[in-house]
Amino acid sequence: MESNLSKLKQQNRRLVGCFPLYPPLELLHSFGLMPVVLWDMKEQVRSLKESDRHLQSFTCSVARRLAEFVLSEEGALLDGLLIYNACDTLRNMPEIIKRGLEEKGKTLPLLKFHVPMVSPKQTDSTGYFAGRIRELIGEIENAFGVRFSSERFLVSVRLYNAIRRLSLEMETLVSEGKMSYADFSRLMRNGHFMAPENHLSALKDALKKAKSGPTKNSSDGIKIIVSGILSPPDALCAIIEESGMRVAGNDIASQARSYSYMPQEIDDPIAYYTDFFRNHHPCTTLLHSSDERLKLLNELIEKRGARGLIFIGEKFCEYEYLELPFIIKTLEQKNIATLQLEIATDDEDNVEAFRTRIEAFSELIK
Amino acid sequence: MAEEKDETRGLMKTESGRRLTQILTDDYLNLHRRASEGAFVVWVAIIVPVELFKGFDNVVFAVPESHAALSAAKGVGMLQCEKAEHDGYSMDICSYARIDIGTAMSSGKDSPTFGLPRPHLLVSDNNNCSLLVKWFDIYHREWNVPHFIIDVPFCYEMQKETDLKYIVAQFRDLIKTIETMSGQKFNIDRVKEALQNSSAAAKHYKRFIDCAVNRPSGITAFDSFVQMAPLLTSRGCPTVVEHFRKLADETEERIKNGQFPVPNEKYRLLWDSIAPWHQLRKMSSRLANLDANIVAASYTSCVGSIEGHYEFLQEYRDGDPLESLARIQNFSVCPYGMKLRFNAMSWAAQHYGIDGFVFASNRSCKVYSVMQMDLQKWITEELRIPSVMIDVDHADIRKYNEENAFLRMEALLESIDAGRTRAIT
Repeated sequence: MESNLSKLKQQNRRLVGCFPLYPPLELLHSFGLMPVVLWDMKEQVRSLKESDRHLQSFTCSVARRLAEFVLSEEGALLDGLLIYNACDTLRNMPEIIKRGLEEKGKTLPLLKFHVPMVSPKQTDSTGYFAGRIRELIGEIENAFGVRFSSERFLVSVRLYNAIRRLSLEMETLVSEGKMSYADFSRLMRNGHFMAPENHLSALKDALKKAKSGPTKNSSDGIKIIVSGILSPPDALCAIIEESGMRVAGNDIASQARSYSYMPQEIDDPIAYYTDFFRNHHPCTTLLHSSDERLKLLNELIEKRGARGLIFIGEKFCEYEYLELPFIIKTLEQKNIATLQLEIATDDEDNVEAFRTRIEAFSELIK
Repeated sequence: MAEEKDETRGLMKTESGRRLTQILTDDYLNLHRRASEGAFVVWVAIIVPVELFKGFDNVVFAVPESHAALSAAKGVGMLQCEKAEHDGYSMDICSYARIDIGTAMSSGKDSPTFGLPRPHLLVSDNNNCSLLVKWFDIYHREWNVPHFIIDVPFCYEMQKETDLKYIVAQFRDLIKTIETMSGQKFNIDRVKEALQNSSAAAKHYKRFIDCAVNRPSGITAFDSFVQMAPLLTSRGCPTVVEHFRKLADETEERIKNGQFPVPNEKYRLLWDSIAPWHQLRKMSSRLANLDANIVAASYTSCVGSIEGHYEFLQEYRDGDPLESLARIQNFSVCPYGMKLRFNAMSWAAQHYGIDGFVFASNRSCKVYSVMQMDLQKWITEELRIPSVMIDVDHADIRKYNEENAFLRMEALLESIDAGRTRAIT
């Protein structure tokens, strides 16, 4: 990750670290800025020395790695930060990071904006949200000395939608057994730290290779769905596939939940982001959307012919854990078997402990 | 440090305490009775402006967080948590949520109030705690009950006009929702009256907690925790105004008569967290035996205030009650950013003459706790007042270790002593 970011810095790109998962990437990109989604940094952020000075051990790995990255040397590559409202932990992060940076004698432009969490059926938040987007544009212009252009915005919208389209196509290849889920997952994660133009090229190359090359994933594997707020560690993906299962679809926040909805390609950022958040693929972090999650999971399971669901739990993610029992109960009523795994901050290196459970699950749903 | 243990010191038994028990008993009995007689029942997050419901003829509300705190204080918190865990809810989830889920899924079994009547509508509010939206979603899905989410932007600084208008718009939609669902007409004049009562009650409560300014303090923060309950179960009612008026009068009278919870008070502490409900008497009396008193708490001092302040600022006489209710949405500590919390705590430290801070890092309340490591550093450096961080869980006793907590709190007292010695020499 760091080397990717260093390369971008060498190209004089100004990097804006964003969290949580669904920031206005297109908008930042249209200003010539380079948005970097600070999520799912398990492979790259190994030590938590800085973070431990600011966060208790009962904080999730997303927050701990985020703090570590921004406050450590790597974070010096960033030119700004952008946050929108998410969970109870993350909403505290801007001020924690600000103080951490100040301790080091640094400051960064910190852009904050509020995404309405009300259901559109309940309250019309369009006017309020339009004001927030206008405010954000003004803040970006002031912080970085740039001007908004609707033409450039539309170009960025098209670029990110192209990435979404290829991601969906690639997910289909994984479900058909033509590509390994581990490879797919790595490619998605790396995309957060690449220029979108480069990510698009990487996706095109990988798709070409997958279509022409030998099957990477067991084509007769037992089909399952994976779900969670973070993608499974690579080693865990490998264990799933080695156990004779094929990931036929996912409900991972940084994967399907991020790329599944294709917003309309328009040059008005207010209309674009209203559509983007209102019709976003359901995610636990977008409070009004959660009701649709189970419905879409059911549809996905049916469409892909999956026989089980593996839930990759992020330790201390209360949002996900509060939704899980109802999902499991409902799926099990439909004879869809489920397996719950929990990954804590230090567990990425210890996934072998899960092998027996995953193998047993594979046997169970055969 | 401590000599003989005296369990009667600390949290005091008072006439107001007995009256409080009666109010709460009446509140829960009325809730069940009216629900059984056909009232429209709403479950709310603590910060939802329940004064709005007074605008209807027959709407009652229940506060699951308050019920969970009561359950923990009555010693059944762990039992209810275990039921939720048995149903698949992780032990890492907030203990209030687990207590409530355990209670609801066992139809009120083991609850000190026989549970809560089944709701017609759920109203959550994400400013105090956004997890609560997910918690209410469980009932929304299990029981197919509509869930209205009040979305309040987090306040890193004072509330903006645009945010206020956004909140007012949601209140209007909530009123319409209840009108449609219950078939009842809304009367805003009654809301004004309720808001006047809330404002007067908060003013008297403030007078009560300000008895901590006296040396020795007329109260412990534990008294203020316990006495918060009617603000949640019957806010907006004249009975609450009367109760708090008497509470403040009686406490001031006790001070005049030289009656103090910690008569030889040597250490005046401020507590930063939700109350440790399962430890109220135990912790207050053990501290009292060390001549220490937690005289104030960020959790209760904020009542009647607005974001970033602790002084009374919620005066309501007339005007649009919806705007007033929206303006005070951020009064409790949780929706504050760190800067606002620092401002409020600095004011409280001076106002109450605080010798030391106890930051209670609460696994169950991330919104309260996650910034505490930085806040502690900031407070200690700027105010030069010693502090300590202890681990607690507000309602799950399994996540609390009394000896560990007291080891640290005793170290804090020693640190205060050392500071005093240095100041003399």
